[in-house]
Amino acid sequence: MTAMKYNVNGSTYQFDADPGMPLLWVIRDIIGLTGTKYGCGVEICKACTVWIDGSPEKSCDMNASEGVGRKITTIEGLSATPVGVRLQNAFIDCQAPQCGYCQSGMLMAAAKLVTSNSKPSDAQIDSALGNICACGTYPRVKQAIKKATGQPT
Amino acid sequence: MSKRTETKAGTVSRRAFLGGGATVVAMFALDAAPGSKMARAIAANLPVDTSGGPVNGWILVNADNSVSIAFGGAEMGQGILTGLAQAAAEELMVAWSQVRTQVAPTSQSYITGGSFGIRANFLKMRIAGAQAREVLLAAAAATWGIDASACSVSDGVITNTVTSATLTYAQVAKAASALTPSASPTLTDASKFRMVGRSMARLDLPSKVDGSAVFGIDVRVPGMLYAAVKNCPTIGGTLARTPATPAGAIAVVPLGNAVAVVASNTWAAFKAASSLSVAWTIPTAAAQLTTSTISAQAQTLMATGTAGSPAAERVGDAPGAYGTAVTRIESTYQLPYLPHVCMEVLNCTASVTPTSCEVWVPTQAASWVQATAMAITGLPASAVTVHPTLLGGGLGRKIEQDYVSQAIKVSKAVGKPVKLTWRREEDLSHDQYRPMGLVRVRLGADSGGRLTSIATRTVAPSPLAQRGWMAPTGNDNVEGAEGLPYAAANRLVEYVKHPAAVPVGFWRSVGNSINCFAVESALDELAVALKQDPLAYRRSLLAGDPRTLAVLDRAAADIGWNTAPAKGVARGIALSNGFGSIVALAVEVSQPTAGVMKVNRVACAVDCGLAVNPGQVESQMQGGIIQGIGTAFWGQTTFAKGVASSRNFSNTRMLLMKETPSITVSILQSGLESLGGIGEVAVPPTAPALANAWFKLTGARLRSLPFFPGANRMDD
Ligand code: FES
Ligand code: FES
Repeated sequence: MTAMKYNVNGSTYQFDADPGMPLLWVIRDIIGLTGTKYGCGVEICKACTVWIDGSPEKSCDMNASEGVGRKITTIEGLSATPVGVRLQNAFIDCQAPQCGYCQSGMLMAAAKLVTSNSKPSDAQIDSALGNICACGTYPRVKQAIKKATGQPT
Repeated sequence: MSKRTETKAGTVSRRAFLGGGATVVAMFALDAAPGSKMARAIAANLPVDTSGGPVNGWILVNADNSVSIAFGGAEMGQGILTGLAQAAAEELMVAWSQVRTQVAPTSQSYITGGSFGIRANFLKMRIAGAQAREVLLAAAAATWGIDASACSVSDGVITNTVTSATLTYAQVAKAASALTPSASPTLTDASKFRMVGRSMARLDLPSKVDGSAVFGIDVRVPGMLYAAVKNCPTIGGTLARTPATPAGAIAVVPLGNAVAVVASNTWAAFKAASSLSVAWTIPTAAAQLTTSTISAQAQTLMATGTAGSPAAERVGDAPGAYGTAVTRIESTYQLPYLPHVCMEVLNCTASVTPTSCEVWVPTQAASWVQATAMAITGLPASAVTVHPTLLGGGLGRKIEQDYVSQAIKVSKAVGKPVKLTWRREEDLSHDQYRPMGLVRVRLGADSGGRLTSIATRTVAPSPLAQRGWMAPTGNDNVEGAEGLPYAAANRLVEYVKHPAAVPVGFWRSVGNSINCFAVESALDELAVALKQDPLAYRRSLLAGDPRTLAVLDRAAADIGWNTAPAKGVARGIALSNGFGSIVALAVEVSQPTAGVMKVNRVACAVDCGLAVNPGQVESQMQGGIIQGIGTAFWGQTTFAKGVASSRNFSNTRMLLMKETPSITVSILQSGLESLGGIGEVAVPPTAPALANAWFKLTGARLRSLPFFPGANRMDD
C-alpha cells in the first residue's frame, strides 16, 4: 500500500492504494466515481476511457502510481468543459445512448476528438471512436458528433 | 407475474412466463386502487414528496405537480421505461417535462423478455393513467361542486370551464387518492394521441451522458466488500476442496461449481480469483462436450433422431408433396453456440442479515431474484427487498439467477454486504449460450414454380428442456420456422432435442435467429433454382398477406431493388415475423479483398403495429442489425472437453463504428390492434440477408455461421 494524491476533475483525493492497481479501479472503487466503466480490463473495449493531462487513455491500462501528479478527467468532469456539454446535449438530441454503458467512454473519446478537430469527417470519427458498443449506437453517436460540430447529419 | 411463475413453472411456455396475459394486465391496474395494499406499498417504496400522494398504484403526483410513474420492468437500452411512461402520461394529460419514473416494488414487476414490454403493459399503463386522471378530475369537480364533465385538463392543470378557476393535480391529489377509480376508465382515442406515436425524449438518457446513471456494477453500499468468482472452467465440474484464502483476500467462499474470493476492492478480488489454484472434480461426461462431437451428434439426430410429437406445425402432407415436387431444395444450415456479450458484465450486490436480505442487481426478472433470495436465506418475501438497477445490456442473459445466487450466498457467508462482479473472462466463458443448431429445410415447388411444400427440421439443445419446462414440440426452438407467412399448402415443422449439456439460454430473438437464417437462405436457394428474382419470388408467395408484403416492398424500394447496383456490389433480402412484428431487410455487400465481406448499406422496414416511440423503434432496428452483422461474421463459442473458447474481446470480435454500414429504417404502422415487440426482431433477418447478398456477389452459399470464424480476433 502506498499513500497517493490524485487530481480528478479538479478535486484532490488522498488515499492508500496498491501501486499496481489499475487506474480504472482506483477511480471506481477508491475514489468512488463510477461513471468510468469496466468492459474488458484488457485494453480493447475503451469503456474505461478517461483523459490524462487532456488526452484520452484507457484507464485499465495504467496503474495507480501512474495517476499521481497527472490531471485526470472522467465523465463526471466532462460537464465542466464547453465541448463536453455540447456533446452531451447532442448525444441527448440524437437519442444516442441505448443501455448507456459504453457511452462514458464514447463521450470521452468524442470530446477529445472535437477539441482537436472542430469538423471531424466520418473517417476521422470512425478512427477516433474505436469503442465497442454492444447495443449498436454507432450511427447515432456519429450523428451526434456531427451535430455537435455543426455539420450536416 | 411471480405467482404465475411459481405455480405453473412445470408446464407453461416461456411465452406465458414472459408475456403475462390479459387477466394480469387488468389486475394490475385494479389491484392498485387507492388505499389498496399495493398503493400503500408503492407509496412506501417511492421516495417522493408526500405532500402530493399516490392516486393509484402506478401514478404518484408530486408536490411540484410532476408525476412519478412506476416502472416494473428492466431498462436495458430498449427504451421500455420511456415507452411505458408515454402510455401513462398520454392518458394522464401531463406535459412530458412533468414526467418522472420510479422503480415499482417487486410485486408489481414483470419479467422483461420476449419483447413483451409494450405488448403486455401498454394497455395496463394507459388504464393506470386514465384512472388517475379521472379521480383527479373528480376531486377537482367535488371541490368546485360541479360535475366532472365541466372540467378540462391540460398539462396537469384542471380548469373549471364555468368559472375558469384552476387547480393543479398536486392540489387535488390527496383528495383524489381517497376516491375509487373506475375499472374501465375512458381511454383516449388513438387518433387523438399526442404523446404515443411520437419520439419523446428518453427519460433515462440525461443520466447516461454524465456518468450519473447507476448500473448494477456501480452500486455502492456502506461497509460492502467486493467479490470475484472463479467458475469451474469445465461444464459440470465442482469444487474438490475449498482453497485457502490467498494473500490480499479476506475470504474464500465455496459455491459448488465455483469459488468466490472476497477482498476490499474489485481489482484485489479479480487478481486473487484469477491467481487461485483450484482443484476441481470433473465429470467424465465433460469429455463429450467438444464442438466436433456435438456437431456430429447433431448430424446423427438430423438423420435418425425422433422429432418431438406432435410436430410444432403440420398442415397437409409436406413429405408427400416434397416427393412429387418438380423443383426441390434440400439444404442444411449450421449455427454455433453464441454468447450474449452484454457490455456490463454480470454482477450483483447483496446484503444478507439473519432477518433481512437486500439485493441490488441488473436483472430482467426482479421477482425471480426475490424467489432466489428466499430460497437461499429461508426468509419470507416481506424480508427480501430487490432493487433492480439499470442494465448495461441484458439480451436475455440477465434473466438468469446464477450470478444472483452467488452474491447472496457470499454475503450470507461473510455476514457483510458484498458486491460480486464477474471478470469479462468469466462472463464470456460461463454464459448460458444461444443454442447451437442444425436446421434442414426442404422446399418443393410445382411446375409453375409455386411453393407446394415447406418442411423444416431443427436439431438444437433446448433452454426450456434444460430448465425442465419442456413443451413437446420444441417451443422456442421452432420460432422462426413455424407460422411462416409464405403460402404453401403443405407444411411440417419438426424439432429434435439435442441433449448436449452446455448451458443454453434465451438469446435476443431466441429460436428466430436460428430458424430464420435457414428458412430465408433456403427460399433464396429455391428462387435461384427456379431462375426467379428472390424478391419477386417472395412476393409471389405473399399475395395473401398484404401486411407482410408491404414491409417487404418497402425494404426493397428503400434499397432500390429495381435499379442495378454499383459494380462490385450485390443485394440480398430477408424477412422475419417474430414477436408480433414484421421486419424486412435489404442489404448491399461488396468484397474489398478476397474473402472479406463489406456491408455497404442496409434498408430496414418494420411494422410493429403502432410505433409507440418511432425514434426508439429506429434505434432498436439499428442496434439489432449491428449485432446481427457482428455475430453473423464472427460470433461463436466453441467447446473443448467442456471448456468454452470465449475469453475476452481478444477472441470475441464485435462490430465497430468503422465497420458499420449506413442503415435506413422505415416504419410502417398497421395500427394499435397489431402491437408488436421491437427489441429482438431486427436480429433474425440480418444473417440470411447478408448470406443471400454474398451468394449473389460471389456464387458461394454461406450455410454455416459464423461466416468468418478465423477472423474473430479484435486486436488483429
Ligand atoms: S476496460 Fe479498459 S479497454 Fe476495456
Ligand atoms: S449503449 Fe449499450 S453498450 Fe453502448
